[in-house]
Amino acid sequence: MQLLWPIAIITFKEGIRNRSIYGISLLALLMLLANFVISGMVAQEVSKVAVDIALSAISFSGLLLVLFVGINLMAKDLDRKTIYMVMAKPISRSQYLIGKYIGVILLITVCMSLLSFFAAVSLLLIKFGHPTFFQRFSWLMVGLSFFFTTLMLILVAALSFLFSSFTSTSFLTFILTIISYIIGMSLNDVKALVEAPQSVGITVSPVTVKIVQAAYYVFPNLSLFDIKLQAAHGLPVPVTYVIGIVAYTMVYSVIVMTMACLIFRKKEFP
Amino acid sequence: MISFASVSKEFKEGVAAKRVRALSNLTLEIERGQIFGFLGPNGAGKSTTIKILLNLIFPDSGRATIRGMDVCDKNVRRFVGYLPENPYFYDYLTAEELLWFGGKSSGMAKSAIVERSNLLLDKVQLLESRKRPLRTYSKGMVQRAGLALALIHNPDVVILDEPMSGLDPIGRKMVGDIILELKKEGKTVFFSSHILSDVERLCDRVGIIVGGQLRLTGCVAEILKGGDTLEDAFMREVHIAGLKEVR
Repeated sequence: MQLLWPIAIITFKEGIRNRSIYGISLLALLMLLANFVISGMVAQEVSKVAVDIALSAISFSGLLLVLFVGINLMAKDLDRKTIYMVMAKPISRSQYLIGKYIGVILLITVCMSLLSFFAAVSLLLIKFGHPTFFQRFSWLMVGLSFFFTTLMLILVAALSFLFSSFTSTSFLTFILTIISYIIGMSLNDVKALVEAPQSVGITVSPVTVKIVQAAYYVFPNLSLFDIKLQAAHGLPVPVTYVIGIVAYTMVYSVIVMTMACLIFRKKEFP
Repeated sequence: MISFASVSKEFKEGVAAKRVRALSNLTLEIERGQIFGFLGPNGAGKSTTIKILLNLIFPDSGRATIRGMDVCDKNVRRFVGYLPENPYFYDYLTAEELLWFGGKSSGMAKSAIVERSNLLLDKVQLLESRKRPLRTYSKGMVQRAGLALALIHNPDVVILDEPMSGLDPIGRKMVGDIILELKKEGKTVFFSSHILSDVERLCDRVGIIVGGQLRLTGCVAEILKGGDTLEDAFMREVHIAGLKEVR
C-alpha cells in the first residue's frame, strides 16, 4: 500500500486538474439546468421526469469522465512513455496498475459526489416548486441510484485497464471500453430476447443463443446498476440487492484487474 | 557495479513480424564510481541497453545486473536514478509534486523529500518555478526536472539517456557539472550521448556500439593518447562495422 499510494495520488491529481473535467462538469450542470425548464413544461409526473433527467445526466457525465479522463490517465502513460519515469522507481508492473486504478476510483468517487450534490440541489429546487408531485419521492432511492452509477463506472474503469494492458493505443482501449459498455447495458434484454424469440415472433439460431449466453457470463451486466426507474417512481430496492451489487462490483473488478496485472507483468515498453 | 553478461535482444517489426536484432551478445562491466559514456549511431542499441537495465524490456538471453542483483528485481531500482531520452512527465503536476512522487515511491520520509527537493530544484534552477504545472515548462526545463527526479533518492547508479538533448549551452554545462559532482560523490554514471565533446570531457570510459554489437570499450585517456580524437575512434568503428549494420 505504501507504494500504491504515491501512484494513486499523482493519478488523482493529474485527473482532477484535467481540463476535460471542467467541460464534463459544465455539460452536467447544463443538463441539470435543462431539468428546470423541462420540469416546468410537463403538466404531470414532474417528480418522475425530474429524477429521470437528473440521474441520466449524472450517468452520462460519469461515463464521459471514465471514457475521456479515466482511460487517458492510464493509456497516455503508455502512449507518451511517461511510464518510463514511474517504472524506474522500485515499483512492480502490478503495483503500478493497481495504484493507477485506485487513483481512478478516487477520481470517479470525488467527481460523482460533486455531480450528485448538484443533481440533488436541482431536484430539491424542483421539489420546492412543485411539492404536490413529490409525494412518493425518495431521497434514499435517488442516493442509491447515484451510488450504483458510481459502482458501475468503477467497473467500467477496471475493464478499460484490462484493455490498456494488451492494446497498444489509447484509441483502441477507448473503442473496446465503449463496446463493452454497450454490450453490458443491453445484454440482459438481448439474452431475454434470444431465449424466448417466439414471444416477438422471430427465430434465432442455436449458435446465436449460445454466443449470447456466453457473452452474458463474460461481460458485466451493467443494466443491474440502472435503478433509475425505481428511483423515479420511489419504489424500494431490497437490501440483499444492494449487497449483491456491491459484491458483484468487487468480485468482477478484482477478477478483471487480476487478469490485467497478469498480462501487464509480461508487457514490454520499447 | 553494472554488468551485462551475453545479453541479446530481438524485436519483431512490421506486419510480417520480421525479427530485428537490436542487441547482440553484449558483455560489459562498469565499475563503481565510473562515468561511462555509451556511444553509437541512431538505432545502434543504446536505448535498448538502457531499457534492459531498467527492466522496461526483457533480454532474450543473457543477464544484466546492478550491484550483483538481477535487474528483474524491482528493489534494484532503489539504487538507480534514470532520466529517459526526451522525458515526458504528467502535464498537470508541478515539479515539486513530481519530486514528491519520486521520493515517496523510493521510500523516503516526508522531511527528507522536502529537503532534497529544494536542494535539487535549486541546483537545476527550477526552485522559482517549482509550483508551476510541468506543461508550462520549456523542453530544457522538463529535462532538468527529469534530472532532479532521477537524483531525488540519492541513488548509487545514475542512468542518463541523452541527458544533453534539448538543452542550451548553459543547460549542458549545468548537467555536465552535476555529472562531475556525482563522480566526486562516488556514484556510478552510465550515460548515452551523441555529443562527443561532452563524452570526452566527462567520461572515464566509453563504449561504442554499432548495429547492436559492442565494438570498442576503453578508457578515454587511452583512446586519446594515440593522437586520436573520440570522433576519430567513433567514425572508425562505425566504418569498420559497415553502414549496412547501422540501422
